[in-house]
Amino acid sequence: MKNNILKILFSFILLLFTSCTDDLNTEPIVELSLEQLLAQDPDAIEGILSRLYGSFALSGADGPGSSDISDDPGESPFLRGIVNLQDFTADAMKNRWGDNGLDQLTTTSDWTPDNKFFRYLYNRIFFTIPQCNNLLSILPNVDVENKEVIISEVRFIRALAYYYLIDVFGKGVLATENNFGQTTPLPQASRQELFDYVEAELIQIEPILLTSNTYGRATKAAAQMLLSKLYLNAEVYTGTARYDDAATYSNRVITDGVYSLEPDFVSVFSADNDTSNEIIFPLIADAVVSQSYGNTTYIVNGSLNTETMPLAEFGATDGWGGHRSTKAWYSLFGDLDTSTDDRASLFWTEGHNYEMTDYREWTDGYPSIKFRNTNFTGTSLTSLFSSTDFPLFRLADAYLMYAECAVRGASGADLNTALQYVNDVRSRSNASTISQSELTLQFIIDERARELNLEGHRRTDLIRFGMFTGGSYLWPWKGGIQNGVSIPDSYRLFPIPSTALQANPNLTQNPGF
Amino acid sequence: MKTIFNSLLFTLFILPSMLMAQNKISGTVTEQSSSLPMPGVNVIIKGTTQGTATDFDGNYQITANSGDVIVFSFVGYLTQEIIYNAEETLNVALVEDAAQLDEIVLIGYGGVRKKDLTGSVELITSEDFNQGAVISADQLLQGKAAGVRITTNGGQPDAAPNIRIRGGASLSANSSPLIVIDGIPVDNGGVSGMSNPLSMLNPNDIESFTILKDASATAIYGSRASNGVIIITTKKGTSGDIKFNFSSRMSVGDISDNNQIQVMDGDTYVRFIQEYFPNDTGLLGVPVGSVDTNQSVSQIISTPLGDRAIYDTNWQDAIYRTSITQDYNFSVRANMLEKIPIRASIGYNDTEGVVKTSDYERITASLRLTPEFFDEHLKIDFNAKGTLVDKNDIDEGGALGGAIFMDPTKPIYDSNSIFGGYYSQMLPPDDALNPNALVGAWNPLALLEQRQRQVNVNGILANIELDYKFHFLPELRAVTLIGLEASRSKTEERFSNNAIATYTLVPDPSVPAGTYIFNPGTNYRERQHITNTTWESYLAYRKELNGFINSYDVQAGYSYQKFKNDGNKDEFKTDEVTGIRVPNIDPENPNNRYFSLLNLQSFFGRANVNLNDKYLLTFSFRADGSSFFTEENRWGYFPAAALAWKLKEETFLNNVTFINDFKLRLGWGETGQQDISGSVGFFPSIPVFEIGSPNSQYIEGVTLYNAKEFNPDLTWEKTTTYNLGVDFDFFNNNLLSGSFDVFKRETTDLLVLTNVPPGQALSDVLIQNVGATDSEGFELNLNLNPIQDDVFSLSLNGNISYNITEVTDLDGAEQISAGGNLPIGTGNFLLKHAVGEEAGSAWVLKQVYDDNGRPILGSFVDLNGDGNITDDDKYYRAIQPNWTFGFGFTFNYKNWDLSSSFRGQLDGEVYNSRRLTSGVIDNAVSQDGNSLNNVLDFYAGEADVEIFDIQDPIQFSDYFLENAAFLRCENIVVGHTLRDVFKNATLKIYAAVNNPFIITDYSGQDPENFGGIDNNFYPRPTVYNLGINIDF
Repeated sequence: MKNNILKILFSFILLLFTSCTDDLNTEPIVELSLEQLLAQDPDAIEGILSRLYGSFALSGADGPGSSDISDDPGESPFLRGIVNLQDFTADAMKNRWGDNGLDQLTTTSDWTPDNKFFRYLYNRIFFTIPQCNNLLSILPNVDVENKEVIISEVRFIRALAYYYLIDVFGKGVLATENNFGQTTPLPQASRQELFDYVEAELIQIEPILLTSNTYGRATKAAAQMLLSKLYLNAEVYTGTARYDDAATYSNRVITDGVYSLEPDFVSVFSADNDTSNEIIFPLIADAVVSQSYGNTTYIVNGSLNTETMPLAEFGATDGWGGHRSTKAWYSLFGDLDTSTDDRASLFWTEGHNYEMTDYREWTDGYPSIKFRNTNFTGTSLTSLFSSTDFPLFRLADAYLMYAECAVRGASGADLNTALQYVNDVRSRSNASTISQSELTLQFIIDERARELNLEGHRRTDLIRFGMFTGGSYLWPWKGGIQNGVSIPDSYRLFPIPSTALQANPNLTQNPGF
Repeated sequence: MKTIFNSLLFTLFILPSMLMAQNKISGTVTEQSSSLPMPGVNVIIKGTTQGTATDFDGNYQITANSGDVIVFSFVGYLTQEIIYNAEETLNVALVEDAAQLDEIVLIGYGGVRKKDLTGSVELITSEDFNQGAVISADQLLQGKAAGVRITTNGGQPDAAPNIRIRGGASLSANSSPLIVIDGIPVDNGGVSGMSNPLSMLNPNDIESFTILKDASATAIYGSRASNGVIIITTKKGTSGDIKFNFSSRMSVGDISDNNQIQVMDGDTYVRFIQEYFPNDTGLLGVPVGSVDTNQSVSQIISTPLGDRAIYDTNWQDAIYRTSITQDYNFSVRANMLEKIPIRASIGYNDTEGVVKTSDYERITASLRLTPEFFDEHLKIDFNAKGTLVDKNDIDEGGALGGAIFMDPTKPIYDSNSIFGGYYSQMLPPDDALNPNALVGAWNPLALLEQRQRQVNVNGILANIELDYKFHFLPELRAVTLIGLEASRSKTEERFSNNAIATYTLVPDPSVPAGTYIFNPGTNYRERQHITNTTWESYLAYRKELNGFINSYDVQAGYSYQKFKNDGNKDEFKTDEVTGIRVPNIDPENPNNRYFSLLNLQSFFGRANVNLNDKYLLTFSFRADGSSFFTEENRWGYFPAAALAWKLKEETFLNNVTFINDFKLRLGWGETGQQDISGSVGFFPSIPVFEIGSPNSQYIEGVTLYNAKEFNPDLTWEKTTTYNLGVDFDFFNNNLLSGSFDVFKRETTDLLVLTNVPPGQALSDVLIQNVGATDSEGFELNLNLNPIQDDVFSLSLNGNISYNITEVTDLDGAEQISAGGNLPIGTGNFLLKHAVGEEAGSAWVLKQVYDDNGRPILGSFVDLNGDGNITDDDKYYRAIQPNWTFGFGFTFNYKNWDLSSSFRGQLDGEVYNSRRLTSGVIDNAVSQDGNSLNNVLDFYAGEADVEIFDIQDPIQFSDYFLENAAFLRCENIVVGHTLRDVFKNATLKIYAAVNNPFIITDYSGQDPENFGGIDNNFYPRPTVYNLGINIDF
């Protein structure tokens, strides 16, 4: 009897175990493993590459309401962070919403490590970097055409993200494909170490990158552009000036490249600017297939308001009534009504006050209409999202960088050529040409404002010219005062977000915060 | 073999009696109704340890002296005591004890007598259920069980219940208890379009709830049991005559005026705008004569924009209605062919919500067969429940918010309106900037009546259980259970012609500016198939002994569960040229398919040992595997142990007559949690790529793929619970009975979505096993039966519980976000899980008040004294209540009964968002200056005029937090029972009112709010019911 019981028990238990514990290895159907992906789409690697490029403009992979990071999909995208941190903290652009932390940017005051807008950019930088490392660790085991070029493109994208880490936060971990997957917190790398790393990366990939590539993808000129920006600001980043190298690479952009100034300034900021010959590296936006609240949609819709402006004229359906420029920008054109400079006409003055008495008041200051969602040629459709690409790098910037290097006495840069470049930029907008004697550093920084404001360079430029902190240069609402007030030198860097400090105990806060 | 075994047993039982030289008695014990012999009946001589049990033919032998009292007892039967008069034969028939039968409590893989329970288990049976307007199972239970807090999302017909037992233990993982319906652990995830998955079950089919609170009880359900278990048992067939039951209820629901938000009426609003915004009076009302409506003009005012006709519209009245609900149920219980107990029921419920068009209709059918074969050796329990639901899912935010915000000086209807006769404010065709554009709040009534979002769900929950008692070894049973939980749901959203919500600007530049079109028709479709299967098998061995070990039973088994959710959606967009709605096709996923799969498997065992009927020991062990985790980290092991000491059985209490029962329970155990699908989906541990949506492409000509973050190291969250409890029953007729439990619970390896070192994972946050929480608390249940006689009876019951859950570790982080999005700006989250604080506390600034107690706008206490107001000045305020209670009474007088139940909480806080969005003077004029919004009535003291403008960080002021203590009367029921109205029929007529009143200091709409943020709340109506219930 006992045996029988045991037999039954045994067979019963056997029955239990033979049931599929394999079923515990569930597999998704809608999402794909790497193997499934490679089997299914021959262009899979380029599709992953597309997402890395897109990480600067999109909020997430599942529509404009999705977010790659834990932060708000609308507020946190990379490009929106660049505009917020580089332009709103500087002299030319102010925002009025007063969202939790935005006032502190717009008034360049009361910066704290808990300000979510600092965290947004930090998290986006450290989203792009490991995503690049992930693809770099996959690529050695995958068959794909032009693998060397693709690897170089990924390294360019990563270098670009690191460039913003160097410029904005000044330090952070050096995460690469070599330490990818490590869970113990990485050590902190200094600004110099990060600078050296990005410089070496760009020098290595520059020869491999293509001279021309699919629109939106990195070229030689993009790497040269990034190198010259790195060198141009080297003194700020490392204490050692590298204007000679900056001149070398901006010269290569200009002479080796296939780019030319567009005859009309406005065309570079219109919805059909994807055909522009001037843009070296764009951040793509499209009203249908590439939607984001953080690409140029933020600039276009944010600068419009039904209270004073006709939205349809700028191809928009929504006006968010947020950003206006200050006289620190439009006063550089003299009298806007009489100026011949095309760039002087890109302010909406009707119903608005010249002085920004209250940065919270929509009608104080002129909205910038430099960016718009209308086509430069042909008719345009209105849409909620913008189709205008953001010209992160463009030729006019290279011209002005070259000129700056020349004025700063860089070897290999020639003042006559510099003057020619500056006058090319000005003539294109019907501004009067200048003479050699007028080509001073002060002129350069002002010309950069006239030409490049709202393109994410201003804070970096002002720091390089020693005008951002201290009291030598004041602008409306600098330091929280209408007429501006001196701010401490610690504001040349942003505080490291407290979330990052908590997550990696090796990280330290920037001085002054 | 059988005879050998029998004789063996026989010898075992007889042996003791042979050693005594007293009178030998023998006899047979039978079951009275069936006259069948009863094996295993305990036969003892009272006051001694001498006893035996009947054999398989119901026979027994014992020795006794004349005058001894012989006690015959068996679980579920009335105990008989017979004074021995020296007979040689004593045959006894035992009568089934209906009351005692109820006391069998299901605790998972079998049941146990209530008095033998070792864990903290609460049984709620039909007589305890809430009555009146009850649509779903959770509503039967609200306020009834200590430590069980059920908070519905509002007054919707199928309002989602948020159930927390002892406050819940998890942070990012699911904190809801596991719900087991007739043996099938059901899916926590919702059926698409159904807010409340429990409303798939007809509450009239429910017999009882068993709530397992401590780990020794829940451990047998290991996986998913950290947050408690609720076992729902449905009604069974009968072994006796055929019985019918018919019940019917009509209900009328209403929103009382003081449940409305006190915004201004038309004329008050005119006064307000004239006083505060004299330049904007031209936005009030409508141009005289421009509107064609029956509604009378309240006044005409003259403004810079000409004379304006002012209407006086209460937009809340406009969207609310008196709701009518019908509920019918018919059931039959019988013993088919005298062999197969059967119960079948059908039910129909048609509930109207108090918000217009919020309709819910449900048909349910159930069938349960419980036949027994081979001399009761094989018991089969077949159970099937089907449900058809048809509901309209309204645009709650739009309608409820719109009813508060919309300018009260505007009329409801306008026959001239292009929006199908509903008034809505537009800019004129000659507006320079935005001709014909809609401005201001959209007519909330039109939002309700111009949109249909029809949800159809067909659901089935079926299971069959085979319980085989081995012929050669009746102590051993093999039980196997196969279950299916499936639903097919369809959602379709349609707009009628001229619907405001579809008014679309034509982007085409060739048409005149300000050209709009309507997009009537289908706007969204979804089809979803949920198929969950369960297979469980276990062996159970039970042995009654006669020594110090009174009895023991052992169970061991295996469980397999698969949850599959497969669906697809039709999404639409407006064409970028024409503005016409067109399908939004994703070439990579043309059906917008979504798919999730979860697999859970377990091995489990449990042993119960009864020592001398005084000490009861339970041990259990469970190994659980979850597909959420990789193979290496898949299995969690969950042991538990418990001891109960029946003090009443000890000699020192044995003769204390006022104590009927007194038992001490001690429990310890570990349980697990793995359900993180709500935070991170179903594949959190393996690397996968998602395909970019059609709107999230980047480089032209290639499809975008995104590598999703994952954590291969994920494993089980573990909770250890310690529980100490007493059960007591004092004085005659159970005058005072109840239970008291104290517990402590520690959760470690908490599954938390938290920051990773920057750059070292594919996103900034990752689900990780970090952190810990600690909970502690107590529960007290009391039942009092002061009057119990044939004419009068009165019973009272009450429960109170305290629990507090504190976050003790977040792996270095001070706090993580716990959500709580405030209805202002973006990214304004109120709630945090912070170390040293209660889970989900509000993180706020301390408002400064003037000498008169009025808030000073934008002025906060500088808590850290650094001269600046920053996040460092914020402090934590607990949101979830620690103290909750419920109580009620039932009073019977002859054929009349009166009962009532109440519940509430003594603390907790709610963020009154209405004071943020509508209590601010500046919010009365829209940002673009084109329209007006209604606001709270400042003149009636509904808001402070001091708060005139919200600028960051005012939204984080503790000014908006209010005490959420409340006492709610759940129901008052009066019933009259008529017996023998015709042939054995019993008719009960009752009148009931649900939610007649609530007592609270909270100034907003309703303090009973699960998320802690009161915004666009669907009000809970007061419902008046008339019902009948006939048994025949």
